[in-house]
Amino acid sequence: MFRNYFKTAYRNLFRHKGFTVINIAGLALGLTACLLIGLFVHDELQYDKFLPEGERVYRVYNDISAQEAGSVLAVVPPMFGTTLEESIPEVDKVVRILMLQFDANNLVEVGDKSIYEKGRFFADPEFFEIFQLPFKYGSPEKALDDPSSVVISDAFSERVFGDIDPVGKKVSLDKQPFIVRGVFSTTERFHLPVNFVLPMAAAELPAERMKSWGWQQFYTYVKLKEGADSQSAQAKFRGIVAKQIDEDTNQPYKYLPFLQPLNEVYLYSAGFKFDQSIKGNITYVKALSVIAIFILLIACFNFVNLATAKSLQRAKEVGVRKAIGASRSQLMLQFLSETVLLTLISVIFSAALTSLLLPSLNAFTGKEMDFNVFTNPSLLLLLIGLTLVVGILAGLYPAMVLSGFQPVKVLKSAVVVDSTVGRIQWLRHGLIVVQFALSIFLIISASVVYKQVGYLHNKDLGFNREQIMFFQMRGDNMFTNHETFKSELLKGAGIKDVSMGYGFPGDATAGDGVIVPRNGEQVRHATTLLMVDFNYINTLDIKLVAGRPFSKDFKTDADQAFMINETAVRELGFETPEKALGQTLLWPTWDNQDSLREGKIIGVVKDFHFKSLYDKVDPTVLQIYPGAYVKVAVKMDTENVAGSIAHIQGVWDKFSPDYPMEYIFMDDNFEKMYKAEDKLKSLLTIFTAIAIFVACLGLFGLAAYAAERRKKEIGIRKVLGAETSSIVMLLSKDFLKLVVVAALIAFPVAWYAMQTWLQDFAYRIDIPVWIFLAAGIVAALLAFVTISVQAIKAATSDPVRNLRVD
Amino acid sequence: MSNKELIIETENLQKKYVTDTVETTALAGVSLRIAKGEFVAIMGPSGCGKSTLLNILGLLDNPTSGSLRFSGQEIAGASERQRAKIRKQNLGFVFQSFNLIDELTVEENIGLPLAYLGVSKSETERRVTEAMERMGIAHRRSHFPQQLSGGQQQRVAIARATVSNPSLILADEPTGNLDSVHGREVMALLSELNEQGTTVVMVTHSPSDAEYAHRIVNLFDGQIVTENMNIRKHATELL
Ligand SMILES: Nc1ncnc2c1ncn2[C@@H]1O[C@H](COP(=O)(O)OP(=O)(O)O)[C@@H](O)[C@H]1O
Ligand SMILES: [Mg+2]
Repeated sequence: MFRNYFKTAYRNLFRHKGFTVINIAGLALGLTACLLIGLFVHDELQYDKFLPEGERVYRVYNDISAQEAGSVLAVVPPMFGTTLEESIPEVDKVVRILMLQFDANNLVEVGDKSIYEKGRFFADPEFFEIFQLPFKYGSPEKALDDPSSVVISDAFSERVFGDIDPVGKKVSLDKQPFIVRGVFSTTERFHLPVNFVLPMAAAELPAERMKSWGWQQFYTYVKLKEGADSQSAQAKFRGIVAKQIDEDTNQPYKYLPFLQPLNEVYLYSAGFKFDQSIKGNITYVKALSVIAIFILLIACFNFVNLATAKSLQRAKEVGVRKAIGASRSQLMLQFLSETVLLTLISVIFSAALTSLLLPSLNAFTGKEMDFNVFTNPSLLLLLIGLTLVVGILAGLYPAMVLSGFQPVKVLKSAVVVDSTVGRIQWLRHGLIVVQFALSIFLIISASVVYKQVGYLHNKDLGFNREQIMFFQMRGDNMFTNHETFKSELLKGAGIKDVSMGYGFPGDATAGDGVIVPRNGEQVRHATTLLMVDFNYINTLDIKLVAGRPFSKDFKTDADQAFMINETAVRELGFETPEKALGQTLLWPTWDNQDSLREGKIIGVVKDFHFKSLYDKVDPTVLQIYPGAYVKVAVKMDTENVAGSIAHIQGVWDKFSPDYPMEYIFMDDNFEKMYKAEDKLKSLLTIFTAIAIFVACLGLFGLAAYAAERRKKEIGIRKVLGAETSSIVMLLSKDFLKLVVVAALIAFPVAWYAMQTWLQDFAYRIDIPVWIFLAAGIVAALLAFVTISVQAIKAATSDPVRNLRVD
Repeated sequence: MSNKELIIETENLQKKYVTDTVETTALAGVSLRIAKGEFVAIMGPSGCGKSTLLNILGLLDNPTSGSLRFSGQEIAGASERQRAKIRKQNLGFVFQSFNLIDELTVEENIGLPLAYLGVSKSETERRVTEAMERMGIAHRRSHFPQQLSGGQQQRVAIARATVSNPSLILADEPTGNLDSVHGREVMALLSELNEQGTTVVMVTHSPSDAEYAHRIVNLFDGQIVTENMNIRKHATELL
């Protein structure tokens, strides 16, 4: 019997080619979108899953928003680790990793080879016991016990040593000698950007500092004992932390530590400060999953609509089969087989399409996803499951309608006057509304994301990041003679200005307190400190709102002057920029915490965004501080950039020939901040286009049926003198009404969803009303064009022929 | 005739159609008895209820009231499932518009009733071949309906109606879409089946087709107005 079903199914699909092509195209596209998104989402969920016993590993993070508004820190004080290990019975092992700038370059020298490597970790020896990374060479045991050990990644090993086993070999890291103890492999998805690991001892941190409860500088992970309850461990730990007193304020620390399961670190850490993990974003993962479901629904609805529209054509067949003795369940089975067959064909197409498109998606997302049905049996199973689910989902209702036809009614005449027709009409309209509501929702979302991303890239940041080359100083000579280094750089023809300091836009900045003396009291304020030189303001083209920039003309500017930004004016309580001028600030210097630098505010800069637009501009204090001159920004002419770079290289080689020069451009660095948003934008655009296309495909088919059904009416109208345009309107009107309803549903939902998304950004666009109108009009226009193609065809066909149909 | 076994017996059959506003009485009390082996023609003007009656006799539809017995078993009010079961075991249908399934070949169309009856493949093949040979369409076995002439299509339909050896064949204007030559062919086939023992009930407009029947039932406005024995057919009996 099944063979018979499939034979009829096959012939039916072949006979109704238009219907089949539209459905297969729609389903295949929808399924492809689903598969691609599914692969992406699956991959996002794989982070850290490869680690043995990873389910017992937790990251410790610290919510200190009671102390500093909105601060959830990925780093914790060193005593957290010590205490967890010693006092919490559930804890088996702890590892602390020193927070450094992991994307900073470190000089690696072996023999006469000297290159830069990023991803330097200083970690407790338990690192490889908690993160059981597979070792390519050597073994994790005792690999970090000796302070001169280093364990490197396979990529590092490859670059530095080539294709050999480097265990036992010497390597110089930033001019210090180490011995390679092991090589771990980095093929799996791991959230830590680790490239090489040094023992914590090698960092030579003062023992005193390691007893601190206030120095938030360590990424800390614990591994619990088997079967231990993380909640109770967390509660016990909080109890201990609550008792710790901050010596500065004599108050208990307002800390709220959390144990975050390892498998949530990658996706659920948006908004954590000082987090340098490789991060995904659960919002984007969810959004994409929802879109995948949307697209699949739209494709399934197409099928339901077209199949029910076509049902009149098949009513006769149902009648005959029933008269002959087919039962309803047999007919349902027959129609479901047809849908499943159709879905199967679509799935095969979409599997091929997915394989074809996956390399592009991989390139785009930087992933290495794999889609090979032949080597991956679970994938095959998934596809079969998908075929059945989609086939049954799409086919069930049409099968019920079709198999429900009563033979007497359908055998008698071509026209079925039946209550089911009314119901089908309702359902069909409902489904079209849902399809277009989803499409309009996606158009609005994509437009808002577009605008916001454009805003992120183009917003005036309050400084000029164009044509600025940025690098880190290397080698003692360069540091000691930084003034000559600077003046040598400035000699270049295309060099407009050079600034040195610590705290450049897009780079690391230091957070530290300043003290405002007021009414005999000293009030401490948390601020960002930018350690700068006399060229900083000019190099970055920062605007002033009051006072003057640092100047060598004033002797006191070197160590008795501060500049602040507008936010600091408010937060430090100076009311207006003008009133801030001449006020005194105190700062405990870095060389000696007991000595205070005292100075006057000489200028107020306009707020400028030295971090991404996710973050609010901090209250910021600028001061001249040569002790922190480690980074250099060179402003260049647009002309002869290559010449300028050559000049800088020449100067570099004069000062630090031992070190290769490396640099970035500041604007590139800023562009990179919004990589996730850029990708979201592109993905959303592509999938929105697919969704709309599939929806229009369905509409195209439905319009064809409508034209067919009203052939005679159209013929009569034409004989009576109707214009083509009026006939097009006649056929389009019904559909356009549905699009309007869809828009009314989509608008509030889209507004709410996008408003929620925008909340993540400290600086964001207001959603303009025209986006909604435009989305509605675009959808209506697309629908209209789609329908018109069919309508014009119907309206221009020979009326006499159509009238003779009966 | 009264001593013969009855295959169909109706009493005061009524059928009303209710659409939104209008109520149409298609059958207004039809009492009819049909014996096994009979050939009955139903005639009457268009819209008088012929098809409605035939559909009820063929268990495709339920009467609004009245009684309908099939081989002595009361059917009026039976569920679609029960009716479907009797239909597939005992009845064959021939329609004016042939109602062949376009997607199936001649052979497959004819075999369809057997498929629903669960007859084995080899048995099906044997019976289908036999039916095709009887109807003279064996050379068209793998053609699709549209590739055949109207007369050929109707012969396929008759083959399909008879392949399961039904005891009753119901034909609604079987020659309505055929020219006279093909019409006569079809009538000859139905007669032949009847002579081999199958009961035939046929709706027709054509007096010459009605000539083939033993008995002619005339309907008017949903009621039987006359029942005539076909003199020529029964000549031998009457003598
Ligand atoms: N499904 C239906 N709904 C409403 N009225 C119907 C329906 N089927 C038939 N009728 C009406 O019942 C009457 C008898 O129809 P029918 O049996 O088809 O007549 P005939 O076959 O003799 O031409 C007609 O008046 C027809 O309009
Ligand atoms: Mg009729």
